Amino acid sequence: MAVCVAVIAKENYPLYIRSVPTESELKFHYMVHTSLDVVDEKISAMGKALVDQRELYLGLLYPTEDYKVYGYVTNSKVKFVMVVDSSNTALRDNEIRSMFRKLHNSYTDVMCNPFYNPGDRIQSRAFDSMVTTMMIQVC
Amino acid sequence: MSVPDYMQCAEDHQTLLVVVQPVGIVSEENFFRIYKRICSVSHISVHDSQRALYIRYRHHYPPENNEWGDFQTHRKVVGLITITDCSSSKDWPQTFEKFHVQKEIYGSTLYDSRLFVFGLQGDITEQPRTDVAFYPNYDDCDSVEKRIEDFIESLFIVLESKRLDRATDKSGDKIPLLCVPFEKKDFVGLDTDSRHYKKRCQGRMRKHVGDLCLQAGMLQDSLVHYHMSVELLRSVNDFLWLGAALEGLCSASVIYHYPGGTGGQSGGRRVQGSTLPAEAANRHRPGAQEVLIDPGALTTNGINPDTSAEIGRAKNCLSPEDIIDKYKEAISYYSKYKNAGVIELEACVKAVRVLAIQKRSMEASEFLQNAVYINLRQLSEEEKIQRYSILSELYELIGFHRKSAFFKRVAAMQCVAPSISEPGWRACYKLLLETLPGYSLSLDPKDFNKGTHRGWAAVQMRLLHELVYASRRMGNPALSVRHLSFLLQTMLDFLSDQEKKDVTQSLESYTSKCPGTMEVITLPDGLTLPPVPFTKLPIVRCVKLLNLPTSLRPQKIKSLLGQNVSTKSPFIYSPIIAHNRGEERNKKIDFQWVQGDVCEVQLMVYNPMPFELRVENMGLLTSGVEFESLPAALSLPAESGLYPVTLVGVPQTTGTITVNGYHTTVFGVFSDCLLDNLPGVKTSGSTVEVIPALPRLQISTSLPRSAHSLQPSSGDEISTSVSVQLYNGETQQLVIKLENIGMEPLEKLEVTSKILTTKEKLYGDFLSWKLEETLAQFPLQPGKVATFTVNIKAKLDFSCQENLLQDLSDDGISVSGFPLCSPFRQVVRPRVESKPANPPEGSRTGDLSHVKVRQRWKETHRHLRYFFPSCEAAPAGGDQTLEAILNFKYSGGPGHVEGYYRNLSLGLHVEVEPSVFFTRVSTLPATSTRQCHLLLDVFNSTEHELTISARNNEELILHAGACQRMAIQVDKFSFESVPEPPGEKAQFANPKQLEEERQEARGLEINSKLDLHKTHPSLKRTGEASVEGVLNQLVLEHLQLAPLQWDVLVDGQPCDCEAAACQVGDPVSLEVRLTNRSPRSVGPFALTVVPFQDHQNGVHNYDLHHAISFVGSSTFYLDAVQPAGQSTCLGALLFLYTGDFFLHIRFHENSSSKELPPSWFCLPSVHVRALDAQA
Repeated sequence: MAVCVAVIAKENYPLYIRSVPTESELKFHYMVHTSLDVVDEKISAMGKALVDQRELYLGLLYPTEDYKVYGYVTNSKVKFVMVVDSSNTALRDNEIRSMFRKLHNSYTDVMCNPFYNPGDRIQSRAFDSMVTTMMIQVC
Repeated sequence: MSVPDYMQCAEDHQTLLVVVQPVGIVSEENFFRIYKRICSVSHISVHDSQRALYIRYRHHYPPENNEWGDFQTHRKVVGLITITDCSSSKDWPQTFEKFHVQKEIYGSTLYDSRLFVFGLQGDITEQPRTDVAFYPNYDDCDSVEKRIEDFIESLFIVLESKRLDRATDKSGDKIPLLCVPFEKKDFVGLDTDSRHYKKRCQGRMRKHVGDLCLQAGMLQDSLVHYHMSVELLRSVNDFLWLGAALEGLCSASVIYHYPGGTGGQSGGRRVQGSTLPAEAANRHRPGAQEVLIDPGALTTNGINPDTSAEIGRAKNCLSPEDIIDKYKEAISYYSKYKNAGVIELEACVKAVRVLAIQKRSMEASEFLQNAVYINLRQLSEEEKIQRYSILSELYELIGFHRKSAFFKRVAAMQCVAPSISEPGWRACYKLLLETLPGYSLSLDPKDFNKGTHRGWAAVQMRLLHELVYASRRMGNPALSVRHLSFLLQTMLDFLSDQEKKDVTQSLESYTSKCPGTMEVITLPDGLTLPPVPFTKLPIVRCVKLLNLPTSLRPQKIKSLLGQNVSTKSPFIYSPIIAHNRGEERNKKIDFQWVQGDVCEVQLMVYNPMPFELRVENMGLLTSGVEFESLPAALSLPAESGLYPVTLVGVPQTTGTITVNGYHTTVFGVFSDCLLDNLPGVKTSGSTVEVIPALPRLQISTSLPRSAHSLQPSSGDEISTSVSVQLYNGETQQLVIKLENIGMEPLEKLEVTSKILTTKEKLYGDFLSWKLEETLAQFPLQPGKVATFTVNIKAKLDFSCQENLLQDLSDDGISVSGFPLCSPFRQVVRPRVESKPANPPEGSRTGDLSHVKVRQRWKETHRHLRYFFPSCEAAPAGGDQTLEAILNFKYSGGPGHVEGYYRNLSLGLHVEVEPSVFFTRVSTLPATSTRQCHLLLDVFNSTEHELTISARNNEELILHAGACQRMAIQVDKFSFESVPEPPGEKAQFANPKQLEEERQEARGLEINSKLDLHKTHPSLKRTGEASVEGVLNQLVLEHLQLAPLQWDVLVDGQPCDCEAAACQVGDPVSLEVRLTNRSPRSVGPFALTVVPFQDHQNGVHNYDLHHAISFVGSSTFYLDAVQPAGQSTCLGALLFLYTGDFFLHIRFHENSSSKELPPSWFCLPSVHVRALDAQA
């Protein structure tokens, strides 16, 4: 259902990015990259709110003709961006939310790996397979 | 209306549109000169009222847009200024005609027009005309601005009249229906009398009046009109015009709230007019006076605390939040009409500008998102570019840099779309450069040096590729090389192997035309592209400055103060200094380089590429000292490990040199890599002192070079070593050629030698030389050669065979020719009896065998081969080797002045072959007590015949492997002449050493007296033989003159070997005299004279009482003798018969004599021949 999943570091460079139609990978790179503007904007708007009340889920970042881009930001300012096919109307906000939560959990597992260097590209197989399940879940 | 004006902003609603156009042939330059001057008059205050008028100038305006002038009056062209060039009055009517044609285009909407004629002189110019102005040329037209102001005032009058006309036009006359071009056909046949229609007309007219008010500078009035219009139009569902009314409301509110303006570039012009809201409000007041509907607006003043005024203002003017809501509403109404796309788009743009000021980026982005989807008719490529660029600008405005970069890139790509016949690569490149910040990409490689790359690599790489391609198509290969180098340098970690290959291949092909340099490329628009040094091709991990080779290393002549003592501090030690030193260690290295000498720096490099990397022209970058770098070329295998590379260069001046980095040429790109910028480089310092030039000495010798290297433990590094083979005892001359191969004269030379510790005991001077002859040739100019001669004398132990013989005898083999008895047994037999176990002798041989047992073992076998040729299994014996180092300390030139010298070492490897051995040494007393015979058993261990001779002796010929005894008569030695070692030394050296030294000294003396020489006649090699090592304590004692000197005088004549004659019957006086030369007092002694007769057949007849009688006692007594004292005792003998008699003087054994060595009591035997008295 998700066509592209990206994890972006605090400094706004990709830690992980994977998309389903691999031939148009660059397109998704651009899409996720530009969505960061919105993420940044949302975060800076949220910055005024209290930290503990902060909602991690950013909601729909922006819709394009074919896709919808959703965002999620962890407390450590690591961003998750998910691109979903907009034709898939069955997807509700709640489902997106739970997908992000799953992604967050898996990311936490990656961070717990003592051999992982924070800031490096994520190469965990477990994380990869989790993303794969998210991508093929419905479609 | 199809051409959107993307630059529009809300303030434009209050402007009057004036088109400035050239007519006829006017050069672009001249036109724009005038246009600029016209544009400067963008805002004037009308005289009597304080209202301000804003003018928007366009030099191009599509007439179809003009048709929407009723819809929004700021779209209406109300003024036309025409600029023309007219040189002669003949052309004038034609020109004027053209002006009228031009006027026709916008004729329906024009309020007024002007014609500016340049270049025309004559009568025509004299005619006063309001609409035509004449100027002689483009430089002489000072009154242009004034004319424009007049023109604007005339426009204002028309506008004002129109406004008043329309505003008061509510007397119930039929209000005309204003409509936009596409509506016209819709209203055909509509009932014009319906209430609905009337309301529509009214609403639209209100809106129009609002527009006019706004343009005429009556903001409050316009707000009121807009509000009323909104009410009216809402009720009739006239959505397009409702949208326009709402937008007008928004515009007026924006003008009120943001007097600074919302449009980026045009903002400036408004600032000068009105910066303060108060001022703006003041400006509105006069206009508001004429408004009848809202009396509250009459006194509206920004600073007036009157609440009623506030209420009135608040009622009419929208709050900032409302502005956006109303914009949204307006846009949603516009979007109902496909033909109003441009209006909608422009409204979006205007709203975005407002939101940007309000810093509400999220909402702005929604408007923009909407604008993206507004589908206008088929756009031309140019319009597309414009649209994308403006989108990008707007995104930039709201702080969405990435999105902005995205659209800019799209615009750039549009410039070179395949559908365009002439792709604008230049524009594309320029736009691409503008996207760089959005992709957080700087073109300065320094920004990438810190740590790992942090960026959106995939996107950045794409952009760089596009930059490379665009710059190449632009026909600027230098640029594409720079970008490609940058791509390779910074994105190396993200490139796949295939991409690496592709990139480097294209880089190589580009650089073949235009090599990459280290110069900063400056683009026409001022952007600079810093150079890209390839610090990752290859990657340098470690930089180490190497010291000079030992032979060239300069050394400082030690001054009294140690070099390390810091003169900065009075303290010998301070932790602060230690701390500083730690820091300095990073920088300065504690060795020196020498001016004019090749110096080396070692780099550890590796190649990260999946193919072989060719690095050319790799050299050092230095500062501080003039340095001639000698570049190297290297080829690194694919993905090599660390690979050492040595870069060399020659410092040309002195001072402190800092190695800053290195330069390379890789794939045709020159790079200067500075060490400071390299991440993860280990360096042990990069600063070294360069001292003044020193000469260089090269030595060559007459001897062959040695294959052996000397023991590494020696510590010194040997540059050359030579080897020579010598027979033991042989002397050879070593001629050393000293060549000055440097550039400086060699002024000073010192030679020292060091003999490496060897197990062998060495006798005599191994190396000796005379430096004076060599020094006479100094100073040695460059290229000149001096010779230096060293004598090598290999003189090892010549003894040895004791152990061999013992070995042999242990095996029960007796060898003829080798007397198996020890010398002492022969000589001092009587004493041996009294001392059966002789401790010194035993311990000595023991010592000897202990030291030399290994060497001996080999030799034993070697000799066994001679003795028993069948003994094949014996291993080949190793020769003894001697090793020494000759150190040449030399200096000269400026380096000498500075107190530096160089040290060159020559290793000397001498293999000493055994020549002769003294297998045995013994002494035989000679006839005189002052002399004795030294018996040497000489063994020739060489394979050649040799002769051996001692001083005053005959030559002895020895065949190979032969052993012969030679006897040499020697005078006994008095060792008293040997100087005692200095007292100081005696104190510290242990007695054993002292004893050894003394013995050595004695051996030396003996040897010099003996002067043994040997010759190999077949080889024509001569040498010495030395007995030093052979002599043992006992032999030495025998060779020594006893410290107690006994003289026996018969008849007053000293008697030694000669027989003393006397007459039978006469008493013969016998005197025994003792001279004490020993350092202590001796005695007293008792001596008994025992006469005997030797029958020459081994029988001694002691029974001589009848033949000899003593006069007095036969026993002599000597008192104690002090050192250097003398004592004499006298007696007499009476021989009764003739014959040869011997007198044996014997000591009475008592305690005192036992303490002294027996050889001290060696009295000459007295031979007395008693003759017949008659004879």
